[in-house]
Amino acid sequence: MENLILIFISTILINNLVLSYFLGICPFLGVSGKMESALGMGMAVTFVMTLATSISWLIYYLVLERFGLLFLEYIVFILVIASLVQIVEMFIRKYSANLYQSLGIYLPLITSNCAILGVALFMVVKDYSFLEAVIFGFSGGLGFSLVLVVMAGIREELKFADIPKVFKGAPLTLITAGILALIFMGFSGLGGG
Amino acid sequence: MNQIITATLAFGLIGLAFALLLAFLNRKLKVPEDPKVKEILNILPGLNCGACGFSSCKSYAQNVAKNPDKFKPCRPGGDQVNEKVLALIGKKRSSQKQEKMIVVCRCGAEEKDKKTSIDYQGLPNCQTAHAMGGAIDCTYGCLAFGDCKEVCPANAITIKNKKVHIDQKKCILCGKCIEICPRNLFKMIPNKNLGNYFVACQNKDKLKEVKDVCSRGCIGCGLCTKVENSPYQIKENLSEINYDQVQKKKPVEEGKNKCPTKCIDSF
Repeated sequence: MENLILIFISTILINNLVLSYFLGICPFLGVSGKMESALGMGMAVTFVMTLATSISWLIYYLVLERFGLLFLEYIVFILVIASLVQIVEMFIRKYSANLYQSLGIYLPLITSNCAILGVALFMVVKDYSFLEAVIFGFSGGLGFSLVLVVMAGIREELKFADIPKVFKGAPLTLITAGILALIFMGFSGLGGG
Repeated sequence: MNQIITATLAFGLIGLAFALLLAFLNRKLKVPEDPKVKEILNILPGLNCGACGFSSCKSYAQNVAKNPDKFKPCRPGGDQVNEKVLALIGKKRSSQKQEKMIVVCRCGAEEKDKKTSIDYQGLPNCQTAHAMGGAIDCTYGCLAFGDCKEVCPANAITIKNKKVHIDQKKCILCGKCIEICPRNLFKMIPNKNLGNYFVACQNKDKLKEVKDVCSRGCIGCGLCTKVENSPYQIKENLSEINYDQVQKKKPVEEGKNKCPTKCIDSF
Protein backbone atom coordinates (compact mmCIF):
# COMPACT_ATOMS: atom_id res chain seq x y z
CA MET A 1 0.00 0.00 0.00
CA GLU A 2 2.75 2.40 0.99
CA ASN A 3 4.46 1.55 -2.25
CA LEU A 4 1.38 2.50 -4.28
CA ILE A 5 1.02 5.85 -2.54
CA LEU A 6 4.67 6.56 -3.17
CA ILE A 7 4.29 5.79 -6.87
CA PHE A 8 1.15 7.92 -7.01
CA ILE A 9 2.70 11.00 -5.45
CA SER A 10 6.07 10.74 -7.09
CA THR A 11 4.59 10.36 -10.57
CA ILE A 12 2.36 13.38 -10.15
CA LEU A 13 4.76 15.78 -8.49
CA ILE A 14 8.36 14.63 -8.38
CA ASN A 15 8.80 12.79 -11.65
CA ASN A 16 6.17 14.73 -13.51
CA LEU A 17 6.12 13.51 -17.09
CA VAL A 18 5.91 16.92 -18.67
CA LEU A 19 8.09 19.02 -16.43
CA SER A 20 10.84 16.66 -15.44
CA TYR A 21 10.92 14.10 -18.27
CA PHE A 22 9.82 16.64 -20.90
CA LEU A 23 7.43 14.20 -22.52
CA GLY A 24 4.23 15.31 -24.18
CA ILE A 25 5.33 18.89 -24.76
CA CYS A 26 3.32 19.25 -27.96
CA PRO A 27 -0.18 19.02 -26.41
CA PHE A 28 1.16 20.80 -23.31
CA LEU A 29 1.91 23.89 -25.39
CA GLY A 30 -0.88 23.42 -27.89
CA VAL A 31 -3.94 22.91 -25.71
CA SER A 32 -3.03 24.99 -22.67
CA GLY A 33 -4.57 28.16 -24.07
CA LYS A 34 -8.02 27.64 -22.64
CA MET A 35 -8.99 26.11 -19.32
CA GLU A 36 -11.92 24.17 -20.73
CA SER A 37 -10.00 22.40 -23.46
CA ALA A 38 -7.05 21.83 -21.10
CA LEU A 39 -9.34 19.99 -18.70
CA GLY A 40 -10.85 17.95 -21.51
CA MET A 41 -7.44 17.10 -22.91
CA GLY A 42 -6.18 16.15 -19.45
CA MET A 43 -9.11 13.86 -18.89
CA ALA A 44 -8.74 12.23 -22.30
CA VAL A 45 -5.00 11.67 -21.75
CA THR A 46 -5.57 10.31 -18.23
CA PHE A 47 -8.13 7.87 -19.57
CA VAL A 48 -5.96 6.72 -22.46
CA MET A 49 -2.86 6.51 -20.27
CA THR A 50 -4.51 4.39 -17.56
CA LEU A 51 -6.07 2.00 -20.03
CA ALA A 52 -2.97 1.89 -22.22
CA THR A 53 -0.68 0.95 -19.33
CA SER A 54 -3.01 -1.72 -18.01
CA ILE A 55 -3.65 -3.30 -21.41
CA SER A 56 0.01 -3.01 -22.34
CA TRP A 57 0.94 -4.70 -19.04
CA LEU A 58 -1.41 -7.57 -19.77
CA ILE A 59 -0.15 -8.01 -23.30
CA TYR A 60 3.48 -7.62 -22.29
CA TYR A 61 3.47 -10.22 -19.53
CA LEU A 62 0.78 -12.61 -20.78
CA VAL A 63 1.65 -12.69 -24.47
CA LEU A 64 5.00 -11.14 -25.31
CA GLU A 65 7.02 -12.52 -22.43
CA ARG A 66 5.48 -15.97 -22.60
CA PHE A 67 6.27 -16.42 -26.30
CA GLY A 68 9.62 -14.65 -26.16
CA LEU A 69 8.48 -11.78 -28.36
CA LEU A 70 9.82 -8.91 -26.29
CA PHE A 71 11.17 -7.20 -29.41
CA LEU A 72 7.54 -6.48 -30.38
CA GLU A 73 7.18 -4.30 -27.29
CA TYR A 74 7.22 -0.91 -29.01
CA ILE A 75 5.01 -1.74 -31.94
CA VAL A 76 2.41 -3.47 -29.77
CA PHE A 77 2.30 -0.57 -27.33
CA ILE A 78 1.81 1.85 -30.18
CA LEU A 79 -0.98 -0.31 -31.55
CA VAL A 80 -2.70 -0.34 -28.15
CA ILE A 81 -2.39 3.42 -27.74
CA ALA A 82 -3.59 4.18 -31.27
CA SER A 83 -6.67 1.99 -30.87
CA LEU A 84 -7.51 3.50 -27.50
CA VAL A 85 -7.22 7.00 -28.88
CA GLN A 86 -9.61 6.05 -31.66
CA ILE A 87 -12.09 4.79 -29.09
CA VAL A 88 -11.78 7.93 -26.98
CA GLU A 89 -12.24 10.05 -30.08
CA MET A 90 -15.44 8.23 -30.99
CA PHE A 91 -16.78 8.65 -27.46
CA ILE A 92 -16.01 12.35 -27.33
CA ARG A 93 -17.49 12.99 -30.76
CA LYS A 94 -20.65 11.22 -29.74
CA TYR A 95 -21.15 12.70 -26.29
CA SER A 96 -19.48 16.12 -26.35
CA ALA A 97 -19.39 17.84 -29.72
CA ASN A 98 -18.07 21.05 -28.13
CA LEU A 99 -15.08 19.36 -26.57
CA TYR A 100 -14.47 17.58 -29.86
CA GLN A 101 -14.34 20.95 -31.62
CA SER A 102 -12.09 22.62 -29.08
CA LEU A 103 -9.60 19.75 -28.93
CA GLY A 104 -9.50 19.64 -32.71
CA ILE A 105 -6.35 18.17 -34.17
CA TYR A 106 -4.85 17.52 -30.72
CA LEU A 107 -7.27 14.71 -30.04
CA PRO A 108 -5.94 12.28 -32.70
CA LEU A 109 -2.50 13.59 -31.81
CA ILE A 110 -2.76 11.87 -28.42
CA THR A 111 -1.69 8.86 -30.46
CA SER A 112 1.71 10.37 -30.89
CA ASN A 113 1.82 11.82 -27.38
CA CYS A 114 5.14 10.46 -26.24
CA ALA A 115 4.12 10.74 -22.58
CA ILE A 116 1.76 7.80 -23.05
CA LEU A 117 4.27 5.57 -24.80
CA GLY A 118 6.76 6.77 -22.21
CA VAL A 119 4.58 5.59 -19.33
CA ALA A 120 4.05 2.21 -20.98
CA LEU A 121 7.79 1.76 -21.46
CA PHE A 122 8.75 3.03 -17.99
CA MET A 123 6.35 0.55 -16.48
CA VAL A 124 8.33 -2.25 -18.09
CA VAL A 125 11.70 -0.79 -17.12
CA LYS A 126 10.64 -0.27 -13.51
CA ASP A 127 9.30 -3.82 -13.31
CA TYR A 128 5.94 -2.86 -11.86
CA SER A 129 3.22 -5.32 -10.86
CA PHE A 130 -0.18 -4.96 -12.51
CA LEU A 131 -1.69 -2.80 -9.76
CA GLU A 132 1.42 -0.64 -9.60
CA ALA A 133 1.32 -0.20 -13.36
CA VAL A 134 -2.31 0.90 -13.31
CA ILE A 135 -1.62 3.39 -10.52
CA PHE A 136 1.46 4.56 -12.41
CA GLY A 137 -0.53 5.16 -15.60
CA PHE A 138 -3.36 6.88 -13.76
CA SER A 139 -1.10 9.18 -11.77
CA GLY A 140 0.96 9.92 -14.86
CA GLY A 141 -2.22 11.13 -16.54
CA LEU A 142 -3.20 13.13 -13.47
CA GLY A 143 0.23 14.75 -13.38
CA PHE A 144 -0.13 15.66 -17.05
CA SER A 145 -3.59 17.14 -16.45
CA LEU A 146 -2.36 19.05 -13.40
CA VAL A 147 0.43 20.71 -15.33
CA LEU A 148 -1.88 21.39 -18.27
CA VAL A 149 -4.48 23.02 -16.04
CA VAL A 150 -1.91 25.10 -14.13
CA MET A 151 -0.46 26.26 -17.44
CA ALA A 152 -3.90 27.07 -18.84
CA GLY A 153 -4.69 29.08 -15.71
CA ILE A 154 -1.49 31.08 -16.02
CA ARG A 155 -1.98 31.68 -19.73
CA GLU A 156 -5.57 32.79 -19.25
CA GLU A 157 -4.41 35.34 -16.68
CA LEU A 158 -1.56 36.47 -18.91
CA LYS A 159 -4.04 37.42 -21.61
CA PHE A 160 -4.91 40.47 -19.55
CA ALA A 161 -1.33 41.45 -18.88
CA ASP A 162 0.48 44.10 -20.84
CA ILE A 163 3.19 41.99 -22.40
CA PRO A 164 6.06 43.49 -24.42
CA LYS A 165 5.58 42.71 -28.07
CA VAL A 166 8.69 40.56 -28.41
CA PHE A 167 7.44 38.18 -25.71
CA LYS A 168 3.90 37.81 -27.00
CA GLY A 169 2.73 34.33 -27.97
CA ALA A 170 5.18 31.47 -28.15
CA PRO A 171 8.17 33.06 -26.35
CA LEU A 172 6.18 33.84 -23.23
CA THR A 173 4.59 30.39 -23.27
CA LEU A 174 7.98 28.72 -23.42
CA ILE A 175 9.37 30.94 -20.66
CA THR A 176 6.35 30.15 -18.49
CA ALA A 177 6.87 26.44 -19.12
CA GLY A 178 10.52 26.77 -18.11
CA ILE A 179 9.68 28.57 -14.88
CA LEU A 180 7.04 25.94 -14.10
CA ALA A 181 9.64 23.21 -14.62
CA LEU A 182 11.99 25.02 -12.22
CA ILE A 183 9.22 25.24 -9.63
CA PHE A 184 8.44 21.55 -9.97
CA MET A 185 12.09 20.78 -9.28
CA GLY A 186 11.35 21.95 -5.76
CA PHE A 187 9.28 18.81 -5.25
CA SER A 188 12.29 16.56 -5.74
CA GLY A 189 13.02 16.81 -2.01
CA LEU A 190 9.67 15.18 -1.21
CA GLY A 191 10.56 11.60 -2.09
CA GLY A 192 14.10 11.46 -0.75
CA GLY A 193 13.15 12.37 2.89
CA MET B 1 11.79 -19.18 -38.48
CA ASN B 2 9.62 -20.30 -35.65
CA GLN B 3 9.92 -16.93 -33.99
CA ILE B 4 8.77 -15.15 -37.11
CA ILE B 5 5.63 -17.24 -37.24
CA THR B 6 4.78 -16.69 -33.57
CA ALA B 7 5.52 -12.98 -33.86
CA THR B 8 3.33 -12.64 -36.93
CA LEU B 9 0.57 -14.67 -35.36
CA ALA B 10 0.67 -12.87 -32.02
CA PHE B 11 0.80 -9.41 -33.54
CA GLY B 12 -1.81 -10.28 -36.14
CA LEU B 13 -4.20 -11.58 -33.51
CA ILE B 14 -3.71 -8.61 -31.20
CA GLY B 15 -4.25 -6.29 -34.14
CA LEU B 16 -7.33 -8.19 -35.24
CA ALA B 17 -8.80 -8.04 -31.74
CA PHE B 18 -8.41 -4.27 -31.65
CA ALA B 19 -9.71 -3.91 -35.20
CA LEU B 20 -12.86 -5.85 -34.34
CA LEU B 21 -13.37 -3.78 -31.20
CA LEU B 22 -12.96 -0.56 -33.17
CA ALA B 23 -15.28 -1.70 -35.91
CA PHE B 24 -17.91 -2.65 -33.36
CA LEU B 25 -17.62 0.65 -31.48
CA ASN B 26 -17.61 2.61 -34.71
CA ARG B 27 -21.00 1.19 -35.58
CA LYS B 28 -22.30 1.72 -32.05
CA LEU B 29 -21.09 5.28 -31.65
CA LYS B 30 -21.74 6.56 -35.12
CA VAL B 31 -22.69 10.22 -35.28
CA PRO B 32 -25.10 10.86 -38.13
CA GLU B 33 -23.75 13.66 -40.28
CA ASP B 34 -25.94 15.99 -42.23
CA PRO B 35 -25.66 14.93 -45.90
CA LYS B 36 -25.87 18.59 -46.82
CA VAL B 37 -22.47 19.20 -45.31
CA LYS B 38 -20.85 17.02 -47.91
CA GLU B 39 -22.80 18.59 -50.74
CA ILE B 40 -21.90 22.09 -49.62
CA LEU B 41 -18.29 21.03 -49.25
CA ASN B 42 -18.29 19.85 -52.85
CA ILE B 43 -19.44 23.24 -54.06
CA LEU B 44 -16.96 25.29 -52.05
CA PRO B 45 -13.58 26.17 -53.54
CA GLY B 46 -11.82 24.11 -50.88
CA LEU B 47 -8.93 26.48 -50.31
CA ASN B 48 -9.37 26.55 -46.51
CA CYS B 49 -8.46 30.22 -46.66
CA GLY B 50 -10.39 31.24 -43.57
CA ALA B 51 -11.90 34.41 -45.03
CA CYS B 52 -15.33 33.44 -43.67
CA GLY B 53 -14.03 33.26 -40.10
CA PHE B 54 -14.09 29.48 -39.86
CA SER B 55 -10.92 27.47 -39.73
CA SER B 56 -11.67 25.34 -42.76
CA CYS B 57 -14.17 24.88 -45.56
CA LYS B 58 -15.50 21.87 -43.70
CA SER B 59 -16.38 23.73 -40.52
CA TYR B 60 -17.93 26.48 -42.67
CA ALA B 61 -20.09 23.86 -44.40
CA GLN B 62 -21.09 22.35 -41.05
CA ASN B 63 -22.08 25.72 -39.68
CA VAL B 64 -24.03 26.71 -42.76
CA ALA B 65 -25.89 23.41 -42.78
CA LYS B 66 -26.66 23.76 -39.08
CA ASN B 67 -27.85 27.37 -39.00
CA PRO B 68 -28.95 28.40 -42.48
CA ASP B 69 -30.17 31.71 -41.01
CA LYS B 70 -26.65 32.77 -40.16
CA PHE B 71 -25.45 32.30 -43.72
CA LYS B 72 -22.47 34.41 -44.62
CA PRO B 73 -21.27 34.35 -48.21
CA CYS B 74 -18.04 32.64 -49.16
CA ARG B 75 -16.02 35.48 -50.58
CA PRO B 76 -13.50 33.51 -52.64
CA GLY B 77 -16.33 31.47 -54.14
CA GLY B 78 -18.04 34.44 -55.69
CA ASP B 79 -21.67 34.73 -56.72
CA GLN B 80 -21.85 31.39 -58.48
CA VAL B 81 -20.81 29.31 -55.46
CA ASN B 82 -22.93 31.28 -53.04
CA GLU B 83 -26.04 30.89 -55.15
CA LYS B 84 -25.57 27.14 -55.28
CA VAL B 85 -25.04 26.94 -51.51
CA LEU B 86 -28.11 29.09 -50.88
CA ALA B 87 -30.18 26.87 -53.13
CA LEU B 88 -29.03 23.85 -51.17
CA ILE B 89 -30.02 25.22 -47.78
CA GLY B 90 -33.27 26.55 -49.17
CA LYS B 91 -32.61 30.25 -48.78
CA LYS B 92 -33.05 33.11 -51.15
CA ARG B 93 -30.33 35.48 -52.03
CA SER B 94 -30.56 38.69 -50.06
CA SER B 95 -31.38 41.61 -52.29
CA GLN B 96 -28.37 43.72 -51.41
CA LYS B 97 -25.55 42.95 -53.73
CA GLN B 98 -22.09 42.49 -52.43
CA GLU B 99 -19.91 45.41 -53.38
CA LYS B 100 -16.98 44.29 -55.45
CA MET B 101 -13.65 44.93 -53.81
CA ILE B 102 -10.01 44.62 -54.72
CA VAL B 103 -6.95 44.41 -52.54
CA VAL B 104 -4.05 46.80 -53.07
CA CYS B 105 -0.64 47.15 -51.47
CA ARG B 106 -0.05 50.72 -50.45
CA CYS B 107 3.67 50.89 -51.05
CA GLY B 108 4.62 51.46 -54.66
CA ALA B 109 8.33 51.94 -54.21
CA GLU B 110 10.76 49.67 -55.99
CA GLU B 111 14.24 48.77 -54.92
CA LYS B 112 15.79 51.83 -56.56
CA ASP B 113 13.29 54.16 -54.84
CA LYS B 114 13.70 52.91 -51.30
CA LYS B 115 16.78 54.10 -49.50
CA THR B 116 18.58 51.47 -47.47
CA SER B 117 21.35 52.42 -45.08
CA ILE B 118 20.90 49.39 -42.83
CA ASP B 119 22.62 46.08 -43.47
CA TYR B 120 19.88 43.85 -42.13
CA GLN B 121 21.11 40.34 -41.41
CA GLY B 122 18.27 38.97 -39.33
CA LEU B 123 15.69 36.38 -40.28
CA PRO B 124 14.41 36.98 -43.79
CA ASN B 125 10.80 37.73 -42.99
CA CYS B 126 8.86 40.95 -42.61
CA GLN B 127 7.60 40.26 -39.09
CA THR B 128 11.10 39.97 -37.68
CA ALA B 129 12.53 42.77 -39.75
CA HIS B 130 9.74 45.06 -38.62
CA ALA B 131 10.23 44.15 -34.97
CA MET B 132 13.97 44.84 -35.31
CA GLY B 133 13.31 48.27 -36.75
CA GLY B 134 13.18 47.45 -40.43
CA ALA B 135 15.44 46.50 -43.28
CA ILE B 136 14.83 49.76 -45.14
CA ASP B 137 15.00 53.34 -44.00
CA CYS B 138 11.30 54.04 -44.43
CA THR B 139 9.45 52.91 -41.32
CA TYR B 140 6.16 52.68 -43.22
CA GLY B 141 7.17 51.02 -46.46
CA CYS B 142 7.21 47.49 -47.80
CA LEU B 143 10.04 45.31 -46.46
CA ALA B 144 9.60 42.91 -49.39
CA PHE B 145 10.56 39.68 -47.65
CA GLY B 146 7.28 38.26 -48.88
CA ASP B 147 5.32 37.26 -45.77
CA CYS B 148 2.24 38.12 -47.80
CA LYS B 149 3.39 35.95 -50.67
CA GLU B 150 3.87 33.01 -48.31
CA VAL B 151 0.48 33.36 -46.71
CA CYS B 152 -1.53 33.87 -49.89
CA PRO B 153 -3.55 30.71 -50.56
CA ALA B 154 -4.18 31.65 -54.19
CA ASN B 155 -0.59 32.52 -55.18
CA ALA B 156 -1.79 35.90 -56.31
CA ILE B 157 1.13 37.87 -54.91
CA THR B 158 4.50 38.22 -56.59
CA ILE B 159 7.41 40.41 -55.58
CA LYS B 160 9.41 42.05 -58.33
CA ASN B 161 12.19 44.53 -57.63
CA LYS B 162 11.11 44.54 -53.98
CA LYS B 163 7.65 45.73 -54.91
CA VAL B 164 4.48 43.76 -54.31
CA HIS B 165 2.33 42.93 -57.33
CA ILE B 166 -1.12 41.49 -56.84
CA ASP B 167 -2.69 39.48 -59.61
CA GLN B 168 -6.28 40.64 -59.33
CA LYS B 169 -7.53 37.75 -61.41
CA LYS B 170 -6.14 35.24 -58.95
CA CYS B 171 -6.93 37.17 -55.76
CA ILE B 172 -9.78 35.62 -53.78
CA LEU B 173 -10.10 38.50 -51.29
CA CYS B 174 -9.49 36.29 -48.28
CA GLY B 175 -7.70 39.10 -46.46
CA LYS B 176 -4.81 37.00 -45.14
CA CYS B 177 -2.21 39.44 -46.44
CA ILE B 178 -4.00 42.27 -44.66
CA GLU B 179 -3.58 40.44 -41.38
CA ILE B 180 0.01 39.35 -41.80
CA CYS B 181 1.64 42.54 -43.09
CA PRO B 182 3.39 44.10 -40.09
CA ARG B 183 3.28 47.49 -41.77
CA ASN B 184 -0.40 47.29 -42.54
CA LEU B 185 0.06 48.07 -46.21
CA PHE B 186 -2.75 46.02 -47.72
CA LYS B 187 -6.19 47.48 -48.01
CA MET B 188 -9.44 46.52 -49.61
CA ILE B 189 -10.82 49.24 -51.85
CA PRO B 190 -14.07 49.23 -53.79
CA ASN B 191 -13.70 48.15 -57.37
CA LYS B 192 -15.47 50.80 -59.40
CA ASN B 193 -14.14 49.86 -62.81
CA LEU B 194 -12.76 53.36 -63.15
CA GLY B 195 -9.14 52.38 -63.18
CA ASN B 196 -8.89 51.63 -59.46
CA TYR B 197 -6.68 54.41 -58.24
CA PHE B 198 -5.01 54.33 -54.86
CA VAL B 199 -2.27 56.15 -53.02
CA ALA B 200 0.68 53.79 -52.95
CA CYS B 201 2.32 55.21 -49.86
CA GLN B 202 1.72 55.04 -46.14
CA ASN B 203 4.42 57.39 -44.95
CA LYS B 204 2.89 59.89 -42.55
CA ASP B 205 6.07 61.92 -42.09
CA LYS B 206 6.65 65.41 -43.41
CA LEU B 207 8.20 66.30 -46.74
CA LYS B 208 11.85 66.25 -45.80
CA GLU B 209 11.72 63.05 -43.80
CA VAL B 210 9.88 61.32 -46.63
CA LYS B 211 12.33 62.56 -49.23
CA ASP B 212 15.20 61.31 -47.11
CA VAL B 213 14.04 57.72 -47.20
CA CYS B 214 12.17 57.24 -50.47
CA SER B 215 11.84 58.90 -53.84
CA ARG B 216 8.29 57.72 -54.41
CA GLY B 217 6.74 58.62 -51.08
CA CYS B 218 3.74 60.87 -50.62
CA ILE B 219 5.04 64.17 -49.32
CA GLY B 220 1.65 65.56 -48.49
CA CYS B 221 1.99 68.51 -50.87
CA GLY B 222 -1.70 68.54 -51.67
CA LEU B 223 -1.38 69.09 -55.42
CA CYS B 224 -3.79 66.23 -56.04
CA THR B 225 -6.45 67.96 -53.94
CA LYS B 226 -6.33 71.08 -56.10
CA VAL B 227 -7.94 69.41 -59.11
CA GLU B 228 -11.56 70.20 -59.90
CA ASN B 229 -13.95 67.86 -58.03
CA SER B 230 -10.96 66.19 -56.47
CA PRO B 231 -11.72 63.06 -54.41
CA TYR B 232 -8.31 63.41 -52.76
CA GLN B 233 -7.77 64.80 -49.31
CA ILE B 234 -4.72 65.18 -47.10
CA LYS B 235 -4.75 63.46 -43.73
CA GLU B 236 -1.66 63.27 -41.52
CA ASN B 237 0.62 64.40 -44.35
CA LEU B 238 -0.76 61.65 -46.52
CA SER B 239 -3.05 61.84 -49.51
CA GLU B 240 -6.13 59.71 -49.35
CA ILE B 241 -8.89 58.95 -51.84
CA ASN B 242 -12.44 59.19 -50.63
CA TYR B 243 -13.95 56.44 -52.73
CA ASP B 244 -17.52 57.61 -52.12
CA GLN B 245 -16.68 60.72 -54.13
CA VAL B 246 -15.20 58.86 -57.06
CA GLN B 247 -17.82 59.14 -59.79
CA LYS B 248 -15.79 59.87 -62.88
CA LYS B 249 -12.37 58.88 -63.97
CA LYS B 250 -11.18 62.34 -64.96
CA PRO B 251 -10.51 64.05 -61.61
CA VAL B 252 -8.76 60.98 -60.22
CA GLU B 253 -6.60 60.67 -63.30
CA GLU B 254 -5.72 64.37 -63.21
CA GLY B 255 -4.77 64.10 -59.55
CA LYS B 256 -2.56 61.18 -60.35
CA ASN B 257 -0.80 63.08 -63.10
CA LYS B 258 -0.23 66.09 -60.86
CA CYS B 259 1.58 64.04 -58.22
CA PRO B 260 5.25 65.14 -58.21
CA THR B 261 6.54 61.88 -56.72
CA LYS B 262 4.26 59.58 -58.79
CA CYS B 263 3.03 57.79 -55.70
CA ILE B 264 -0.52 57.38 -56.95
CA ASP B 265 -0.98 54.04 -58.62
CA SER B 266 -3.73 52.41 -60.60
CA PHE B 267 -4.51 49.27 -62.48
